[in-house]
Amino acid sequence: MAEFMSTRELHWRAGKEDVSCRIDESQGVGSFHMSGTTLPFRILDSSHIEISGKRHRFYVVHRHDVSTVWLDGRTYYLKRAKRSIDAPASEVARGGDIRALMPGKLLRLTVNVGDEVSEKQTVAIMESMKMESSLVAPRTGRVLEIRFKPGDVLEMGAVVMVVE
Amino acid sequence: MIRKVLIANRGEIAIRVASTLREMGIQTMAVFTEPDRDALHVRSMDEALEIGSYLDAKEIVRAAVQSGSDAIHPGYGFLSENASFAEACESDGIVFIGPRADTVRVMGDKIESKRIMQKAGVPIVPAWTDGSLPPASEFPVLVKAAGGGGGKGMRLVTTPAELREAMASASREAASAFGDDRVFVEQFIREPRHIEFQILGDSHKNVIHVFERECSIQRRHQKIIEETPSPAVSEALRGRMGEAAVAAARAVDYRGAGTVEFILDSSRKFYFLEMNTRLQVEHPVTEMTTGLDLVREQILIASGERLSVAQSDLHQTGHSIECRIYAEVAEEGFRPDTGTIEVFEPPSGPGIRLDSGVTRGSIVSYHFDPLLGKLIVWAPTRAAAIDRMKRALDDFVLLGVRNNIDFLRRVISTGDFMKGKLDTGFLDRHREVFETANTIPADVFLVASIGGAPSSKQATFNDVWNSGQWRNS
Repeated sequence: MAEFMSTRELHWRAGKEDVSCRIDESQGVGSFHMSGTTLPFRILDSSHIEISGKRHRFYVVHRHDVSTVWLDGRTYYLKRAKRSIDAPASEVARGGDIRALMPGKLLRLTVNVGDEVSEKQTVAIMESMKMESSLVAPRTGRVLEIRFKPGDVLEMGAVVMVVE
Repeated sequence: MIRKVLIANRGEIAIRVASTLREMGIQTMAVFTEPDRDALHVRSMDEALEIGSYLDAKEIVRAAVQSGSDAIHPGYGFLSENASFAEACESDGIVFIGPRADTVRVMGDKIESKRIMQKAGVPIVPAWTDGSLPPASEFPVLVKAAGGGGGKGMRLVTTPAELREAMASASREAASAFGDDRVFVEQFIREPRHIEFQILGDSHKNVIHVFERECSIQRRHQKIIEETPSPAVSEALRGRMGEAAVAAARAVDYRGAGTVEFILDSSRKFYFLEMNTRLQVEHPVTEMTTGLDLVREQILIASGERLSVAQSDLHQTGHSIECRIYAEVAEEGFRPDTGTIEVFEPPSGPGIRLDSGVTRGSIVSYHFDPLLGKLIVWAPTRAAAIDRMKRALDDFVLLGVRNNIDFLRRVISTGDFMKGKLDTGFLDRHREVFETANTIPADVFLVASIGGAPSSKQATFNDVWNSGQWRNS
């Protein structure tokens, strides 16, 4: 078996912080470097790892750019960041966007394009898992655009309408 | 004689009902709608038939007749408390595993049921049921759906100005959930505990209660943690409430398994809330502490047999707690989440029961209620049951869909939960359970990094390791 040591650099975004780390490993044994500390580790099997001599149970799911880590009974969500730490934060939501807060069906629109709306005014009603919820205007302004119609199925975060 | 049962439900309850049927040597028949084509409950039964909707009574009765089923078990939700459905079963010669249709109709009407209970001498919560509105001095009040349950169509209203809008919105939700848009207003009891009694009645005039369940930990008026015995119920109070529950059941000549819900105020006075004419989501805690199988009792009753136990035979042993596992993010206003379950590693060991509707690979869609399953523990004492539940939640790995496992762990770890200081406003007062740790330990970044950059769009490290690819690359 090849005895070569692989080295990888990874960048993560956790909340507002960017974290860079390096991992050196061969045959499941190696060391992890982050913020000036080094942690030796040894993978025991598909769901157990020894880090600095202590044993842990873990699971990891990578989905698109989000990694979900389950470690000793707690779940954490990390985002993979771009190579460069200076890269802009992922798409910043525009102030006037009204987004679906959960996946579901758009039931009704209570405003039309061109209407003046006030902050916190209900602009649409959604249904998700048999429950109604209201979408509200983030600020006072005019409705510039409505991108869906009643009956449409929305993904979480979909921009339903834009307020000036 | 019941030989084959169509289960008119989905998810964990369909699977749980099928388990007992299989123990009794009864054939199981699943129904499913298109989004559930690959669901676990469909695979868990002898036969399965696609239908247009879990709410289409005619279609389901027809499916039962065509498949040669003798009976229909409705589970909870969907058609379980629909009197016309019970009638449709009977008129087509199919046994409805539940109470008589007239009982379902009367108890499904929260206004009518209050009237009957009052007449039977069971204490009730004051309510405005004739369309009149409460005076300003009575606020806050609760708006409730006359035809509903489970918190759907229910609103807490603090000022008279908000009442009409709340009633209109509750009415719309009730119409879509239950096909009945009537709502009424009820006095709001402060710091109430939700205590309910399991009852069983057969067609030979035997009615018993199978003790209480405390279901005070609720979000959006829906229970998330239930237990028995209740830390608030003394032996004397249990006797009085149990008698009231049996009186409530006798008032409608109850046949089947049902639940009499009470609220208990801070001075230990109790009031009838409603009667659920079906198996409850939280029925397992009763089973864990009594040894009864409530689904088996339902089948015996529906077959015209006598209850297998008398009141004097029943004793509770130890303590049981249930946590409802939901695909939702408690920390973000309990928003439901959807996706595919990538990792499913349930806990095991003594005193642990899992009633799950999902497994690895299951797709959780926005079409249905976000309940994934229920984790139930038993232990000799309440303190030991809490320790066991914490350990079981710690061991439970469910990834791919955001869920409330960590949240439940934080709730049962609070001092007030451990002391048994519970009421339905518990989560509003304990905002700390919604906070997650701000700092992520370095170990987490390490574990996330060992799989390296995943080559496919999604993968679990654990599978890559098991496949051997990772070690050979």
